Amino acid sequence: MIFRIFRKELLDTLRDKRTLMTMLVIPVLVFPITLNVFVEVSKSFEESASEKTMKIGIVGDQSRRFSKQLEQIPKELGPKKILVFKDSADLKKGIESDQIQLGLLVPFNEADLRKTQQTVPLTWLLDASEVGRAERAQQYGASLQAFAEAERLQTLGLRPEQVKPLSINTINCASDKKMVGQLAGGFLPYIFIAFGFIGCMYPAIDLFTGEKERGTLETLLTVPVSRWKILIGKMLVVVCSGMLAATCALIGLFISIEFLDLAANKELLDVIHSVLTPVFILSMFALLLPLVIFFSGVMIPIAIYAKSFKEAQSIITPLNIVMVLPAMIGFFPGIELNLNTTFIPVVNVVLATKELVAGTLSWLYFGSVFGVMCLLAALAIGLSYKQFGKETNILS
Amino acid sequence: MIKIENLHKTFALTKQQRKELNTDQKIATAVQDLSFTCQPGRIFSLLGPNGAGKTTSLRMIATLIAPTSGQIQINGIDALKEPQEARKHIGFLTGSTGLYARLTPIEVIDYYADLYGVDKHMREKRKEELFTLLNMQDFLHKRIGKLSTGMKQKVSICRTMIHDPSVVIFDEPTSGLDVITAENIIKLIRSCKEQGKTVIFSSHIMSEVDLLCDDLAIIHQGQLKFNGTMSDFRTQMQTSNLTEEFIRIVQAPNSAL
Repeated sequence: MIFRIFRKELLDTLRDKRTLMTMLVIPVLVFPITLNVFVEVSKSFEESASEKTMKIGIVGDQSRRFSKQLEQIPKELGPKKILVFKDSADLKKGIESDQIQLGLLVPFNEADLRKTQQTVPLTWLLDASEVGRAERAQQYGASLQAFAEAERLQTLGLRPEQVKPLSINTINCASDKKMVGQLAGGFLPYIFIAFGFIGCMYPAIDLFTGEKERGTLETLLTVPVSRWKILIGKMLVVVCSGMLAATCALIGLFISIEFLDLAANKELLDVIHSVLTPVFILSMFALLLPLVIFFSGVMIPIAIYAKSFKEAQSIITPLNIVMVLPAMIGFFPGIELNLNTTFIPVVNVVLATKELVAGTLSWLYFGSVFGVMCLLAALAIGLSYKQFGKETNILS
Repeated sequence: MIKIENLHKTFALTKQQRKELNTDQKIATAVQDLSFTCQPGRIFSLLGPNGAGKTTSLRMIATLIAPTSGQIQINGIDALKEPQEARKHIGFLTGSTGLYARLTPIEVIDYYADLYGVDKHMREKRKEELFTLLNMQDFLHKRIGKLSTGMKQKVSICRTMIHDPSVVIFDEPTSGLDVITAENIIKLIRSCKEQGKTVIFSSHIMSEVDLLCDDLAIIHQGQLKFNGTMSDFRTQMQTSNLTEEFIRIVQAPNSAL
């Protein structure tokens, strides 16, 4: 009988355009569209910034030494035009009015400082809020530094290694998989927690508050079927909807990575492929399932209690923030899965998924997180059952 | 048959409800000491003004809510001890009955047939009978949300009767319906009587009661004010018409009845 109720509720839910949008369409499309737009827009900004002729104003370059060196910088670093300004105030005005994009301030005693082999302080003036300007100044600065260093070494008759006694290197012993897990692993649980919650929300409200509001619940409760069976049949649809929304969001992300060149780096793509094993996917869904049951078990009592769709929505929507905020913990470095964090709902799933991506999750912790979430899911089901049994909640 | 004895129902009032009702009492009594019997093949009417306790009484009979105390028997089954068994015998229809707008009539009727455990052979037979009787063939596969009020009412009737219940409960079944749609309900109630079913319906319209019922109970503020046959009611009348008599009974103190 539970399956019969589930079948009917699923059919009813799948015919609801609003639920379909939040369960299937938005999760599948949100990542390909937003990420694609983001990547394309930033790429076009970067391209236009690198192709744009950079007008560089220069003050104090009496010997035209730096102007010449700047002109020698290869065109690959972007086209440029040198303009001479009389003082720093003039240079600043030029930046503010966008007459020039970069300003270089050379001290008037530059020749003396150079001759006495002292450090010559050069200053860039720029508007850092404009894309690409700071990067261009850094690149030009590095070229000028290289010219000056080579000249100074030649004057002193030294080889570069004579003034660079140490060469310090770092070798990262973490696997690529672990690095991806650490840097991007927090993103994955955030997605399925956010979409799992949203996916549960509309069916929970529709199947409980909506049914009460439309006057169909009273009739349904007169049939010779136990209330717990009716509750479980409906709850299964809410859980399926949450799971489907989370799955669709992950599919959307996968499409973005595979077909929209989100991970343009081949090594990164290889790491992602090595992470996506059947065991990983099964383990991830094993963590997701009790979490979504927990979500639906929290939402259903509210949906049963609420007298109207609007009231239910106004209570559950802020709850979304409370539930999804802990998911952001995944983005913070240094917070790890341990005996304490295992018992914090939502946070434990985030941290376990992060370790799952990195391939460092022990079966003990996996079992603990799964067990804790199953216990919470059972408590949430119990709470739903208690609310569904209350006469005052089910009848208007 | 429906037999109820000393039925009592109280509700705990929330702070908000106490404020709305302008009372300090923490408990509200909806029904007190209600006893009557509805016989098969007869139409029993529960008459009372708004807020008299009619819907609460019918919901208790339909096992939707449990009484605070008292006994309810449906065809000899103790509805408090075996509510699911009692529900198998009951068909329940209200004037405010909603239907699943995104489903078709055939999907709703099949769903309820499954919930009532109607076997396939019986289901097809009942569907055939009800669809013909109510002239439903033209809209069986249309979404309910697109149907007219009259069509929806027919679907509700069909859903209520699909398991051929021997006890049918109507809670203000014609409330909010136009005369033509209400006529379908009147026909259904009469047809139930002809088939020997036990019928109980609530109303606050005396003319509707006069048209249909054999037995009558008048309740006011949860208390029984009259219980007898319709002919007894007419014989004992102290006013010139039924509506005036109903008002007199409702407004009279218990000792004056």
